[in-house]
Amino acid sequence: MNVEQVLFWCAVGFYGLSAFAYVFGFIAENEKLLSGGLATAVLGFAAHLTSIALRWVTSSVTPFITISESLALGTLMAMALFLILQASNRKVRPLGVFVLPVVFVLIGWAGTLRAASGSQLAPALQSGWLWAHIVGATIGFSAVLMAAGLAMMFLLRENRSGGIYDRLPSPADLDRLAYRFVAAGFIMYGLMIVTGALWADQAKGSYWNWDPVEVWSLVSWLIYGIYLHLRITMGWRGRRLAWYALAAVAVMIVSYWGIPFSVETFHKGFRVEH
Amino acid sequence: MVSSPRLAIALLIVVLACCVVGVTVFTPEPAWRLIFNTLWFNGLLVLLALSSGVTFLARTWGRKLTLVSVGMILFHVSFMSLLGGVVFNSLFHFKGVLRLTEGEILPNGDPASYDTVDAGRFFDFTRLRGETTLVKMHRGYKVDGQDKRAAYEIAVGEGSSKTTGIIYMTQNLDYRGVRYLVSKEGYSIGVVLHDKQGRELYAAMVPLQSLQRGENAHLYTTGSALAPGAFPFPPPPDSAALLLQVGYVPDQRKERAGQVEFFTWPVSQAVAGHDGARGAGHASGQAASIGGGKDTEPAASGKVAVGGTFDAGDYKLEAREVRYWVGMTVRRDPGLTVILSSLWAGLAGMTMTFIGRIVQDSKRGKREASSSEPGATAPKGVP
Repeated sequence: MNVEQVLFWCAVGFYGLSAFAYVFGFIAENEKLLSGGLATAVLGFAAHLTSIALRWVTSSVTPFITISESLALGTLMAMALFLILQASNRKVRPLGVFVLPVVFVLIGWAGTLRAASGSQLAPALQSGWLWAHIVGATIGFSAVLMAAGLAMMFLLRENRSGGIYDRLPSPADLDRLAYRFVAAGFIMYGLMIVTGALWADQAKGSYWNWDPVEVWSLVSWLIYGIYLHLRITMGWRGRRLAWYALAAVAVMIVSYWGIPFSVETFHKGFRVEH
Repeated sequence: MVSSPRLAIALLIVVLACCVVGVTVFTPEPAWRLIFNTLWFNGLLVLLALSSGVTFLARTWGRKLTLVSVGMILFHVSFMSLLGGVVFNSLFHFKGVLRLTEGEILPNGDPASYDTVDAGRFFDFTRLRGETTLVKMHRGYKVDGQDKRAAYEIAVGEGSSKTTGIIYMTQNLDYRGVRYLVSKEGYSIGVVLHDKQGRELYAAMVPLQSLQRGENAHLYTTGSALAPGAFPFPPPPDSAALLLQVGYVPDQRKERAGQVEFFTWPVSQAVAGHDGARGAGHASGQAASIGGGKDTEPAASGKVAVGGTFDAGDYKLEAREVRYWVGMTVRRDPGLTVILSSLWAGLAGMTMTFIGRIVQDSKRGKREASSSEPGATAPKGVP
């Protein structure tokens, strides 16, 4: 096992510990456990980041080609956003109760799918659009994951007071913050779809191919479009939208990693016939 | 009715449901035939664009322009122009696969030049002017140190005014709105038919199929995309001298060298549709050996190096040279500029709206936080 792999599994371990600390810290209303959760999340992030950087440096191939690499990069971006949010607002510390278990499960799954990095990038993937596509996808995922976490905090906070609940933001603030993350995720997701279309046009001559991952991405993007319309046009707030955000993130995770894992799609890679 | 947001959302949900069914219940081809390429589904898309556009305009007409409303207008207009571009493109587009062997020239405006054609209802072949030549296929082509694997050097145009260029994956050539894109490549064997005295009777480039045999092994042979097969040689309208199956085992060290395998049958025997490759796959990365049909043993079979001659009884067959053939995708998408511009405009609209809402939110700030009850329904906003 090389250093990159050791660091990757260290990251998985730290995230596991962090998830445990967050969940039980929240149940037991123990601030020390929550702080421990944050500390181990930081350690996990450091190991995670170094592992991906090492993989990139040693192989010279951008580390987001396989499903495993895509999961690892998506969770890295989610953790980066989570830690920024933690640093900027101490009140949202229990966000880790939702984010860390999801990250732990996804990165653990990535670990089971890990394979040696390729020695060269497939010609179809040698495009600048791919970078914008991946940036949009990973930030978009991170944003809606945070929105779902905030939605869960809203559901926990709603109609409860005392103890740890009093130290959380008000339900109205949580609701508004979740909406902002959904809106930001919607834009980044839009960036992913637009740049993906431009890339497909460049590589295949067709901006839209009704590929399962394309269609599922459109579906989950439109699901967030409906969220925004329900809030802005129909006036929805609070509990209903919180449940909606939780369901929507599940659809997004399935469309990102479940679909390419289970059906034939060009997002699995490219083969040029000879 | 058309301007109801409920109708727009209902239509959106129906479209989403169709999309999910299309990519989960069906495989790509039936999904395309039964859903995505049908009149009713495209009608739903048009209705959705109209409904959301009319709904939005009805709600914003006459209102003060702000960053949010301008962003929303841009987004909804881009959504409508995107679908307009898609519809226009579907009516006037062209997509064909042009198969050329190195040195071969084909007229662009002749439907017979293409292996497959998919064109819009109002597409006119006179839009495809001039001719296309495959100058050379480059293997292991590199750009700035990056391996592009295969690149086609092509010339397109009329008379002396031809545009030449090298195309590879992510790099296409545009000639008067018609794009040439790489698709697939293969080997062609230059086969010459001689009589017993060695006089040349007929010559042709014979394109070979690439059939996957194992992880990295390929079988290069005449036949269909599914199985090896023989064909009358010379092909119609000339009268055939024999039925011929050709295979090729490339030299791993030298380009355009290797062994050519011949199998011949009397012209009276129909042997099309062989499914059996007799030889097992060779080592990884090498072509497998081919063999004749399972039903009829070949009258003659043998292997010669490229440049050599094979004795087929009444005739001799010369494997004169190896060239590449390529299948290029040729596309004309007159709506593409509108479609891609609409995508960018939509993204810009979303970003403007988001920034505008953050600014609005900051201004309202604590006032809204203190006045809105959690779980309640807020006053309906204007998008």
